[in-house]
Amino acid sequence: MKRVGKWVFFVVFVLIMFLSYTSVFGIYGENGDYTLTYIKGIQDIRWGIDIKGGVEAVFAPANNVDATDDQMNAVKSIIDLRLVNQNVTDYELYPDFSNDRITVRFPWKSDEENYDPGEAIKELASTAQMVFRGGSSADGEELLTGKDVKNAYVSTVSTNGKSDYQIVVNLEFTNDGKTKFADATQKYLNQQISIWMDDTLISAPTVNSVISDGKCYIESSSSNNGTGFSAEEATALANKINAGALPFNLKIESYGTISPSLGTYALTAMGIASVAALCFIFLFMCIMYRVPGFVAFIALLGQLSLSLMAVSGYFTVFASFTMTIPGIAGMILSIGMGVDANIITAERIKDEIWTGKTLDGCIANGTKSSLSAIIDGNITIIIVAIILILVFGPANIFSSLFGVSTTGLIYAFGYTLLVGVISNFIMGVGASRLMLRSVSGLKFLRNKKLYGGAKK
Amino acid sequence: MRQKFHFDFIKNSKIFFCISLGIMLVCLILNIFVIPTRVDIQFTGGTIVKYSYSGNLKEKQITDVAQKATKETISFTFAENLASSDSNSHMVSLEFTNSKAITVDEQDEVTNALTEAFPDNTFKVEESSSVDASKGANFFAKCIAAVILASVLIIGYVAIRFKKIGGMSAGVMAVVALVHDLIIVYFVFAMFNMSLDDNFIAVILMILGYSVNDTIVIYDRIRENRRKMGPKATTKDVTNASVNQCFTRTICTTITTMAAIGSVLIVSLIYNIDSIISFALPMMIGLISGCYSSICIAIPLWVMWKNHSDNKKAQNDKNKKSNKKEKSVKLAKES
Repeated sequence: MKRVGKWVFFVVFVLIMFLSYTSVFGIYGENGDYTLTYIKGIQDIRWGIDIKGGVEAVFAPANNVDATDDQMNAVKSIIDLRLVNQNVTDYELYPDFSNDRITVRFPWKSDEENYDPGEAIKELASTAQMVFRGGSSADGEELLTGKDVKNAYVSTVSTNGKSDYQIVVNLEFTNDGKTKFADATQKYLNQQISIWMDDTLISAPTVNSVISDGKCYIESSSSNNGTGFSAEEATALANKINAGALPFNLKIESYGTISPSLGTYALTAMGIASVAALCFIFLFMCIMYRVPGFVAFIALLGQLSLSLMAVSGYFTVFASFTMTIPGIAGMILSIGMGVDANIITAERIKDEIWTGKTLDGCIANGTKSSLSAIIDGNITIIIVAIILILVFGPANIFSSLFGVSTTGLIYAFGYTLLVGVISNFIMGVGASRLMLRSVSGLKFLRNKKLYGGAKK
Repeated sequence: MRQKFHFDFIKNSKIFFCISLGIMLVCLILNIFVIPTRVDIQFTGGTIVKYSYSGNLKEKQITDVAQKATKETISFTFAENLASSDSNSHMVSLEFTNSKAITVDEQDEVTNALTEAFPDNTFKVEESSSVDASKGANFFAKCIAAVILASVLIIGYVAIRFKKIGGMSAGVMAVVALVHDLIIVYFVFAMFNMSLDDNFIAVILMILGYSVNDTIVIYDRIRENRRKMGPKATTKDVTNASVNQCFTRTICTTITTMAAIGSVLIVSLIYNIDSIISFALPMMIGLISGCYSSICIAIPLWVMWKNHSDNKKAQNDKNKKSNKKEKSVKLAKES
């Protein structure tokens, strides 16, 4: 067997300790009053609504209307707009086009004591009120409503009849709307007409000519001083206008709320549980397997910190994964199963030692013969974890069959499980073998008894 | 050679089968006649609202007020509110028995009625969930599809990896053990009167991975010992040796995993967090079942299958040989 230098153990050990510390506590600096985050710790993890409290709701068109994809996009943009108006920024929106469902999930607003989530959901689902007003103020004369709009879509037109193309938002009006709009453009020629959605100004174009054919386009938004739309801005505006003209109401198909007090309470409990589990495993492994057991525990710490890194994002450039209670359970479970690879190896080494070989030979044989069992066993767990992720993720392989999932909780469980198994390969298999070979070179640890040999 | 624990698992397999079948039978009878299965509103559709309140109120007072505020029938569950530092804080959960999503307005009516009737008791909605029936059925179908897909992939993987020891039979038996564990997990839910919800699916999928892992480690040993012990050793001997060699490992891994999930269970029992208890308890029993079923169900069954098919093969070979003989005799006659 090729000997691994004695220093290797200490290098790996220090590295794992560094990773464990930073993945739990993070590294922060101060710049005046601001706290700068260099490395993200546990406190930077984005907690799911089951922990910090929040709201989840699924909306669908009322009366089983079969909505088109464009209409669903319109629904999504109106919910977007309303959430922003409610000052909710940290929300998730999952449209499901095949089943005409939209799932929205957002955390409890921490600054409001008497926040009424039921009211918030009702507001999101209420019928969009779109009004065209004369002038650009909210009290301008009401000219048209959402009912008068047939459709809004994005296209490009050549503004000067040549190759200069510009992105515009086209508006098509209904027959009623056609006459109303003709009158309005006559009255407000060279002035502004503003479009309001739920009392929020979404566009205020200037009328350039009288329009009597019920078709017009908006060339540029008021927000960027007439420099023309980007494709995104135009799509957003068209979606909002379409939302105001939706031919159906939204119904709340299912919803749930969790107050923050219940969740944080569960979080504390899980924290205590994981520390208790770690303590027990440390004692058990050291008593049962001595040196390999101790090494296994260090590797386990490494595995755990890798999992934490994968959840928090670790480096500031990566976004944090949304962690839920089943996610934490998956992590704790992977602590328990994480030492399995080491147990298999340690058992093999024990067997080898009893055949009377040299210590180095035993370790070499033991690690070699245990590898296939470890790989086969873990791959089946990877299969399960991947299926959990694929089936219960926001966009999943069964989307076409069953639509987007109502619950993202199991998804987090699959994610932490997968991350746990992968970190286990890196730490429990890779790093721990390296450490074991290195440690076995230390003179005071060369007693076979410390590896499970006979008492002499 | 190191003295190890030795037990003839194959010889005693009939006892194990009886134990498993016996437990299942008792649970089944209880399940049918005494404790019916509860299915969570996540699958059936329905509405549950949980309130916290302070002070002492008679349960009857609350049920009367709440029931009057709505046309739907409500079932009530009362509990201490352990999450609050106030020792006099309680929880009540209202389940609307009609399996449909109750609208926000209807819920508000109940909430308002409660706050108006008991203004000093600070009624507050802690948790509410409301699921449409079609949505629930859909979610259930999806969960089943996930379990089936995972099983198929696992059989496939085992069949390929363990071709040398008859991969297909090994895969099928691993899945038989799995089904055993899943049934046990189901009965844990039923017997403890916990409703089947997404926790149930998570536990089932977890046990799926764990149980197969255990079985595979033993198959791996059998594969290795088959090579070492030579063709003369019987399947039974090879298997018995393998199971015994793996035994310490199986127990130790189960202990560490149980320690992890057990501490979750104990802490959540102390803190009384239902959603985690209904996850950790079946998981714990599932782990024991997974460990047991690998050693005592999957492997002995595999040996039985193997012996059966080997015998058949031997029989066929014999028949072929005798056929050949007859033929050659015939030929001899003709010539």
